[in-house]
Amino acid sequence: MDGATTAPDVIAGEASASVSPPLARVPLVLNRRNFDWVTNRISGAVENPTPRWWWVAFAVTTAIALFGLTCIGYQISTGVGTWGLNSPVGWAWDITNFVFWIGIGHAGTLISAILFLLRQKWRTSINRSAEAMTLFAVICAAIFPGIHVGRVWMAWFLAPVPTQYAIWPNFRSPLLWDVFAVSTYFTVSVLFWYTGLVPDLATLRDRATSKIKKFFYGIFALGWRGSNRHWRHYEMAYLLLAGLSTPLVLSVHSVVSFDFATSVIPTWHTTIFPPYFVAGAIFGGFAMVLTLMIPARAIYKLQDIITPQHIDKMAKVILLTGSIVAYAYAMEFFIAWYSGNQYERFAFYNRIFGPYWWYWWVGMLFCNTLSPQLFWFKWCRHNIYIVYFVCMCVNAGMWFERFIIIVGGLHRDFLPSAWGMFYPTWVDIWTFIGTFGIFLSLFLLFIRFLPMIAMSEVKIVLPEADAHHAAPEEHHAVAAGGMERT
Amino acid sequence: MKRILHHPAPSTTGRQYWRSLGELSDTPDFREWLEREFPAGAAEMSGDEVSRRNFLKLMGASMALAGFGLTSCRKPEMHLVPFTKSAEWVIPGKFLYYATAMPRRQGAMPLIATTVDGRPIKIEGNPLHPDSNGATDAFAQASLLDLYDPSRSQRFIRENKVSDNATFEKYIADLRPKMAANGGAGLAFLVEETWSPTRERLRAELLKQFPRMCWCVFEPLLSEAQHFSTQISFGDSTRLIPQFDKADVVVALDSDFLNCGEGDLTAVRGFTQRRRVREAKDSMNRLYVIENRFSLTGAMADHRLRFPASQIPAITHALATKIAAATKDPGLSSVLITLKAPTRIEKFDARWLEEMAKDLMARPGASLVVAGSHQPVVVQLMAFGINAALKNLGTTLLLRELPKTPRNSSILQLASEIDAGRIQQLFILGGDPVYSAPRTITLDRKTKQALDWPELQKRVPDVVRLGHYEDATSGLSKWHVPAAHYLETWSDGLTPSGAYVAIQPMILPLFGGLSDLDLMSMVLGRPKVEGPELVQETFRATAPPGDFETAWNKFLHDGSAGHIQPKNREPKFNGNTAGGVAHTLWSTDVAPPTKDSPEIVLVSSYSVDDGRYINNGWLQEMPDPITKLTWDNAAMMSPAYAKHLGVKDGDLIEVTVTEPTPKPPPSKPGQAPPPLPPPHALMKRQLVIAAVIVPGHADNSVTIPLGYGRKHTGPVGEEAGFDAYLLRTTSNPHFIVADGKAIGSVMVKKTAGHYALSTTQEHFSIEGRGLVREATLERYRADEEFVTKIAGDEELPHRLPTLYTHPNLSAPQQWGMTVDLNTCTGCSACVIACQAENNIPIVGKLQVAHGRAMHWIRIDRYFASAKPFDQDHGQWPENPEIVHEPVMCQHCENAPCETVCPVNATIHSEAGLNVMVYNRCIGTRYCANNCPFKVRRFNFFDYSQRPVGKTKIAGFSVYQEYLGPLTDKTPAETIKLQKNPNVTVRMRGVMEKCTYCVQRIEEAQIAAHVRAGASDKTLIPRDSFTTACAQACPAEAIVFGDIKDPETRVSKIKAENRNYRLLEYLNVKTRTSYLARIRNPNPRMPDAEEIGVASPEHEKGKAVLNPMEKT
Repeated sequence: MDGATTAPDVIAGEASASVSPPLARVPLVLNRRNFDWVTNRISGAVENPTPRWWWVAFAVTTAIALFGLTCIGYQISTGVGTWGLNSPVGWAWDITNFVFWIGIGHAGTLISAILFLLRQKWRTSINRSAEAMTLFAVICAAIFPGIHVGRVWMAWFLAPVPTQYAIWPNFRSPLLWDVFAVSTYFTVSVLFWYTGLVPDLATLRDRATSKIKKFFYGIFALGWRGSNRHWRHYEMAYLLLAGLSTPLVLSVHSVVSFDFATSVIPTWHTTIFPPYFVAGAIFGGFAMVLTLMIPARAIYKLQDIITPQHIDKMAKVILLTGSIVAYAYAMEFFIAWYSGNQYERFAFYNRIFGPYWWYWWVGMLFCNTLSPQLFWFKWCRHNIYIVYFVCMCVNAGMWFERFIIIVGGLHRDFLPSAWGMFYPTWVDIWTFIGTFGIFLSLFLLFIRFLPMIAMSEVKIVLPEADAHHAAPEEHHAVAAGGMERT
Repeated sequence: MKRILHHPAPSTTGRQYWRSLGELSDTPDFREWLEREFPAGAAEMSGDEVSRRNFLKLMGASMALAGFGLTSCRKPEMHLVPFTKSAEWVIPGKFLYYATAMPRRQGAMPLIATTVDGRPIKIEGNPLHPDSNGATDAFAQASLLDLYDPSRSQRFIRENKVSDNATFEKYIADLRPKMAANGGAGLAFLVEETWSPTRERLRAELLKQFPRMCWCVFEPLLSEAQHFSTQISFGDSTRLIPQFDKADVVVALDSDFLNCGEGDLTAVRGFTQRRRVREAKDSMNRLYVIENRFSLTGAMADHRLRFPASQIPAITHALATKIAAATKDPGLSSVLITLKAPTRIEKFDARWLEEMAKDLMARPGASLVVAGSHQPVVVQLMAFGINAALKNLGTTLLLRELPKTPRNSSILQLASEIDAGRIQQLFILGGDPVYSAPRTITLDRKTKQALDWPELQKRVPDVVRLGHYEDATSGLSKWHVPAAHYLETWSDGLTPSGAYVAIQPMILPLFGGLSDLDLMSMVLGRPKVEGPELVQETFRATAPPGDFETAWNKFLHDGSAGHIQPKNREPKFNGNTAGGVAHTLWSTDVAPPTKDSPEIVLVSSYSVDDGRYINNGWLQEMPDPITKLTWDNAAMMSPAYAKHLGVKDGDLIEVTVTEPTPKPPPSKPGQAPPPLPPPHALMKRQLVIAAVIVPGHADNSVTIPLGYGRKHTGPVGEEAGFDAYLLRTTSNPHFIVADGKAIGSVMVKKTAGHYALSTTQEHFSIEGRGLVREATLERYRADEEFVTKIAGDEELPHRLPTLYTHPNLSAPQQWGMTVDLNTCTGCSACVIACQAENNIPIVGKLQVAHGRAMHWIRIDRYFASAKPFDQDHGQWPENPEIVHEPVMCQHCENAPCETVCPVNATIHSEAGLNVMVYNRCIGTRYCANNCPFKVRRFNFFDYSQRPVGKTKIAGFSVYQEYLGPLTDKTPAETIKLQKNPNVTVRMRGVMEKCTYCVQRIEEAQIAAHVRAGASDKTLIPRDSFTTACAQACPAEAIVFGDIKDPETRVSKIKAENRNYRLLEYLNVKTRTSYLARIRNPNPRMPDAEEIGVASPEHEKGKAVLNPMEKT
């Protein structure tokens, strides 16, 4: 197969716009690619020999991941003191990273579930990898609450296990709600993702050239044959799971935000947190999806499937959620002032002018509030470099935001005598970098072994899938010599 | 023996079954095989009866091996081992209490030691004795840790080789005839001050045997000035006892009389008694303080004048002149008449002194002027004169007879004796003179060069040194003898007020040390005694007629001898003698310090005293009450002076003190002037030390606490701080100022480098938050309910609605606490008492710097000033006041920590305690985050398991870093002996905090139940016990008890109108409450408006964001 050879790749927006009549919908797959092309191109990424860049990238990311795991081992064996935590800052990078990763894990399910229910067909090109990203991000996130406790080996106390002591977990604690929320979210996300994968796994099974591949893809394809019954059941299951996932998208980050909102600490004790956190999560999650998709799209020549239209739409989501977040920021300040509570007022004053001032100016103001505003302009949404820049800003900015909320709230609360500063140690830093290693390693494994785009779903949104579709003869994309034009 | 199993005989009827063909054929081989109980592969089982046990052992071992990989995930295993031989009185698990006392340089402090299974685990004050009244100071509390200090000296050393007790005894026995031969000529003793009558008695016996011996007392921080002045003014063997409880107005001239570390708790108690206002009509004393640095006393002042220490004589003279002019007192006048008025004096507001003098004179007989003991004789004499003029003698200043040999030789006399070559045999009992003796202790007889103590000590052929550590002095001694701790030996002592107390041992010497009495009796050639014989002999001399045993037992039981009452003498100030002495010691031309020629003031450290506690981790980690510095000393200076030097906290400064340049002799005309000595020949002393900025410090003045930088101690103390003894000379032991005579110049300049200082409190501005509520007495009288009108408390509904169910507070007794901010001096005795009681680990300098100090009580220190300042932007208050506020777990009824713990590790007890279940805690730290008071402490590392101090890993020294599994785990066995068995030693990853000493509550509860028997009278008797902090507090600022019973002390105090709770608006309903601080400024003083300003003025409906907004 020559799925990986270069296509003419008219970089598509203008080209297709010039072809299409005015006011017509821009097709979701450009250059009138047919089913066969979609199958070959996407399966090709899995079936072709492993490219050298993949090995290089994988070596680097696993090395980072292993070093991160070593740091975790050191931290567990020695004590939480290997991090820079102290009194008053009992949580810092650990929970910042947790919220950061959990937030990233929101985009995938939002795209797969909510957009599915809303019949947003453009989601098909990106949902698979976004969901995979969700899972990997939740895995990264789940590391932190696990290892940040002082006695990891006692963490099973969090589970409602009936023991002879007859002590149950404290169901009033938001931290316990977190445990339930995150584990539910992860379970449902895995199911949802896997369900969507089944038809594509069957495709890979059918195309497999070796016995081993055939065996494993066959096992996981669950005997999918593409019959009408299969499709009926599949679509119903998918719809149900989408319905099940949708509230989870909203609940998980709401629950995470309760960790803070139910406390008494100024800047934490805020009712605005649940919607603010959910918007922030979607905001950060979409940025991370774009961060991964833009290079993958270029490397695997998927510009016809992940089109400028997709990027444009995701940019719009970023703009919307970014603006919600900006509004939330502003509202926090307003309420702090309006409440007349001196502790709240001071805390927000301290956020801007206190020792962590630049985190706010750079992270929250520039990265999260100002940079997405570029997406008001179409040319910005269509300039891949600007899009990428804004996404990187948002990735960083959302981390800063969580840091400001957590550490900024803790380091100066009620009693000035107890105020302190947080300085990360190398273990803090490398544990965080290590999770990026884990995340990227898993993602690389994903694009290597699984179809990164939902083939079956993309095919459904092709014009040919429409029963009333009549393909114009002159655009039939078969190259001279009978070979399919790639 | 092989067990033969007899199978039942095969049945002859019925069907035959066989297990194998072998059985069917029934061969002898098969029979044998069958007779073995465990036939196949049972080699291990063959043998005798034990085989079954072997089997179980093997199984057990393999189970253990299977679990081996998990052992690191288990809690450390503990073993309970019973006594092999039961000891008398000991009921396992029950504490025993013995009276004893701690020898201190101002007199012994009466104590009660708590022992369990034969080891002392806690020190308390002796409530039967007024000198302690049940309270202690931080040093007494921490002295317990010294007992168990594994780096205490453990061996006899002779000329750098390890020796033993027997060799030493033989050495002394051989020595005795030699010494006796010439009547003790050449024999000298250099001892610490202990106030022990038995030691005095032995000394007298020594003098009988060796009449020509020399007996010298050396205490680096014991100033002779006060003692000497008292003797010349009032007669020998006397001591002045100030009665602070009778004084309405107190003036402290550079006197830190509230520093209970000096061993005098009565001053604190007396003074704070007069600060306790229960209602507005109560009167209150007034304290004026003139000092250069913020001391504990200065922090309590109503009016404080920051003034260079070297200028105290001048301002005292000004005060004395005013009082003499007004009272026409002959005694004071006869002192003043001999003195020349100082010509140069630091500027101050004349009205300040004027009004203070008027205030003093308005209360004749009820005022008190105290001068710091390290101020020169002339200040002491003027202070006596002023007190005499104010008719305070006999009322607020008593004169007490102390049965003590009046005058001892000092180390200076010893130094000149050694220099003269007249000392061959020197016994150094305690102290560390090589470290702490003044520099330039004498001038060499021949070369006229300055000599330091180490040089001199090297000249003595035989030096026997009794010391707690193998320190610098030991290094230069022929013999080092390990000293016993006071809890290991029999002794006795006089308290500061002259009462006779017993020092009885709690444990045999852990490291085989000797006491000074043991050593002296050895030198006397007396038979060796193990018991109290030496003290009994002393006691016998004064014992009341009658049964000696009963009297002795009562003496030991009570800790003091009630039949010996110290006598007061009619104080009569001898102005003429005083004047005669005063003018000879009076130098009027000491110029006020300037920017370029500042004064250096050397003071005792609140943490390590004169350096003797340098290896005590508890004290090292106890934050200095003023600077909040741990593990180090630093040069304190005012913000203005720091700005002049261009230094910030932790920047290194270089202090240079030089002798005056000799004036060139008048040269004859026509001749070249004779050359001056080269500059390097001038005596020049240098100290590089980190700076710390303290608002309220006098400008052009630098204060350096002594006692740090002592190199040769244990691992805890070795790296701590800077040795300020380097600057200390005989002529300027307390403050160094360029006077042109002894000191030519004093220079302080910034030098390269920065030194990391660890403080426990970085922010000292209260940010207008109403946490410490303070008012003047005037305002309090005008508005008794003022305390409820701060920080918006009056706008809170009486009971805020809540969605939550309240904890079940059904217990018949409900515990609560009050802290009276008006009497709390910030002395930190409670911090150490809590540490000792609750097995709180020390964490080391680095961990303190990381913000991980583990103290359950944090004494917050805020600077407050009438003029707002913004600390974040580098603004420092010029002349602030200090407020102290101990903050421990507040035991909220609606505790925010409890709702957030996911594993129910912190819950509420029915008695209202917020309790921690260590076993349940997994360490999420959520509770600490949600604690509004930030009083929860987390074990970030295995602080109680791994040693603090120098750690070595692969040969590299890793200073105070925790390396987890890579380092040694087990702390010294001796440190484990100190632990309170009723309190869990926490492992890493566990949260902890103040428990209201729940173990004491439970102990009292159990005792009450035992007493009640079958009856239902199980209530703990009212105020029958208290927490460790409350028990230690010399000011009785902390009170604990049942708040449900309206008759308890704590309930009564909570009903007072100064009572308020922290952060009331959070509606957490704290059980610990505070009593607002009342200052009593003199309205006519120029600074009266700037006193009592810690509370924000709350304008109705407008909360204050920060103090900047107030203006």
